[in-house]
Amino acid sequence: MNVVELKDVKKYYMLGQTRVDALRGVSLAIGQGEFLAIAGPSGSGKSTMLNMFGCIDLPSEGSVRIDGTETEKMTDKELTRYRRTKISFIFQSFNLIPVLNVYENIEFPLLLQRSLTKKERHERVLKAVEEVGLQDRMKNKSMELSGGQRQRVAIARALVTRPLIVLADEPTANLDSETGKRIIELMRQINETEKTTFVFSTHDAHIMKEARRVVRILDGRIVAGGDVAGEG
Amino acid sequence: MLTLTIAWRTLLRRKGRMALIAVLVGFGTFLIVFGGMFASSVARESRESIISNFTGDFIIYSDKSKTLPSPFAFTTPLPNVQDAAKIAALLDGNDEVESYAMYSQNYGLIQVERAGKKLDLPFIFYAVEPAPYRSVFSNVKMTSGTFFSLPEKGSGGTAGSGIIVSRYQNEQYQKNYGVTLETGESVTLLGITEGGVNTVRSSLSGIFEPLRYRSVFDYINYMDSATYSSLYNFTGVTGLPDQFNDALAAANVDESSLFELGGDDAFGRLDLASLTAETLSGFTMVAVRLKDHDRAGAVIAALEAEPELGIKIATWDKASGFYAQISLALQAFIFLATGLIFLVVTLIFMNTLIINVVERTGEIGTMRALGADKSFVRGVFLTETLILNISAALAAMVVSGILLVFVSGTGLPLPETISQFLIGGGSLRMTVELLPFLAALLTVVVVSILATIYPVSVATAITPLKAMNDK
Repeated sequence: MNVVELKDVKKYYMLGQTRVDALRGVSLAIGQGEFLAIAGPSGSGKSTMLNMFGCIDLPSEGSVRIDGTETEKMTDKELTRYRRTKISFIFQSFNLIPVLNVYENIEFPLLLQRSLTKKERHERVLKAVEEVGLQDRMKNKSMELSGGQRQRVAIARALVTRPLIVLADEPTANLDSETGKRIIELMRQINETEKTTFVFSTHDAHIMKEARRVVRILDGRIVAGGDVAGEG
Repeated sequence: MLTLTIAWRTLLRRKGRMALIAVLVGFGTFLIVFGGMFASSVARESRESIISNFTGDFIIYSDKSKTLPSPFAFTTPLPNVQDAAKIAALLDGNDEVESYAMYSQNYGLIQVERAGKKLDLPFIFYAVEPAPYRSVFSNVKMTSGTFFSLPEKGSGGTAGSGIIVSRYQNEQYQKNYGVTLETGESVTLLGITEGGVNTVRSSLSGIFEPLRYRSVFDYINYMDSATYSSLYNFTGVTGLPDQFNDALAAANVDESSLFELGGDDAFGRLDLASLTAETLSGFTMVAVRLKDHDRAGAVIAALEAEPELGIKIATWDKASGFYAQISLALQAFIFLATGLIFLVVTLIFMNTLIINVVERTGEIGTMRALGADKSFVRGVFLTETLILNISAALAAMVVSGILLVFVSGTGLPLPETISQFLIGGGSLRMTVELLPFLAALLTVVVVSILATIYPVSVATAITPLKAMNDK
């Protein structure tokens, strides 16, 4: 079964009297355990597509299915619950909560879920911290970390809920090339060991090489790699 | 717990900005607690002081009076109360009445002789029955002589006659006329009546200092009621036949009935030798002091229900004129000032929260993207507000409480001029009450909630898209 499925998705915005088409009929399916890059220049529609995957934006036309459920019929509360339980994000600017330390930032989505005991949360956080190699930084605030370390925290925070899919919007854009490469390697390693689905947007050719599948998008249309995975 | 952690640390992170709000909230709370208790203490002390020094719980006066009785308005003496004896009987028979004093206010002249020259000194006074007056009012401290020969303390003794003057008044005589009156000194009193100027020989019984409301009582002196009655010819006769009295009463309505008396046989046979002289009081006011101030309404109603008494009644607050209004005005001022402070706090706090929301757009968007409901965002902001404002309010309450405990023992010293107007003088006795603390806490909570409504609506409108765009 596909984790994410887009069918003829269109997204347009009105800027005054002018209609801006961000997506012009996109169809795409992403299967479980994929490590997929969405590539394209700025303004091509990468982020809009990720937003559709992440239940943080809804299509103007067409349908988006996450884990078999159409998102456009969901209420704000249902979309929020979906994000809380099935989807994780890694942001370009890391987006750690500044007043929380590393441990607390990673624990944050688990606390929102309210389904685990303190002990279970602790075990999960420790495992996630270990996976990103930040055991000695757990008490640090985000301001005390380097860019690469912050992104590792963001990866740990994304993994700790054991989501269906991790969405990363240009995760290496604010990192130097070496650090960016290590971050992508880390994501790939987790994808291989945990079978977590990763979808990330990028326009960096070096990063694209690391992806097992690259979907190229231009002017709101998929121009390559858009074959539907699984049964569709 | 998560909400509390985020809220607390966010406050610490923005402590400079939040400190300003905390100071304002603290000041507002202090105004509610300390200012509120100050105002209520002033109201209570003012009432007690006016009742004890000016008016009693209420003043009975003639229903012919066109103005309210005012113990310190001497421009137009009130009409005399018509049936003082009946009023006295009613008051004596009422268990609620602790004491009462009949008195009047008037002005005349004191004539003294110095170096063979006669000097007329203006003299504003209360004409009182000394013993009853002192049982109602406690505003006189004798600096020399006695209060009409009454012992300094206790209710016994027989009152003598004469006048007593205030120390301030005596100083003014010295300043303006070069005359200082001495206790025991013989004086001639001059009273101006419709028939001309009357004189009575009298003496200075003593000199006093007012204990309260110096701004009023420094100018007021005393004369005993018997001397007053002689001076102003408050004299009548007893033994008149009934039809004569009836005709006199009718003459009040129609003067022609007075002339018809000439044709009345009974009047023609009136034996003048059977008539006896009677001293009339000339009282214009009866100040009544009750055992329980709160029973005033019932006692007044009972008196007003009496037929043909010819009286009106003014409660202490009406009779004291603007003095009773001062404490009300003070309470209104404190209420207004507190309201303004909290309005400013609400606006500043709302503005600060909106700035916070704008600055934290990415953070809020991230929380929403990670699965935080709108209620979680709302909770963070509300918790921040309540922590800050309630902490500031509690700190202000502690300060107010310490200050109140301190001044409740010693009394709050006030500048004498202000104290004279507020409570008649002296330190203000303050009592610690729970209600202003609860009112302050409730106000702070309500203001906090009101101040967050708009910023929270802005915050909860932030979508997870903002997190994606936070680059």
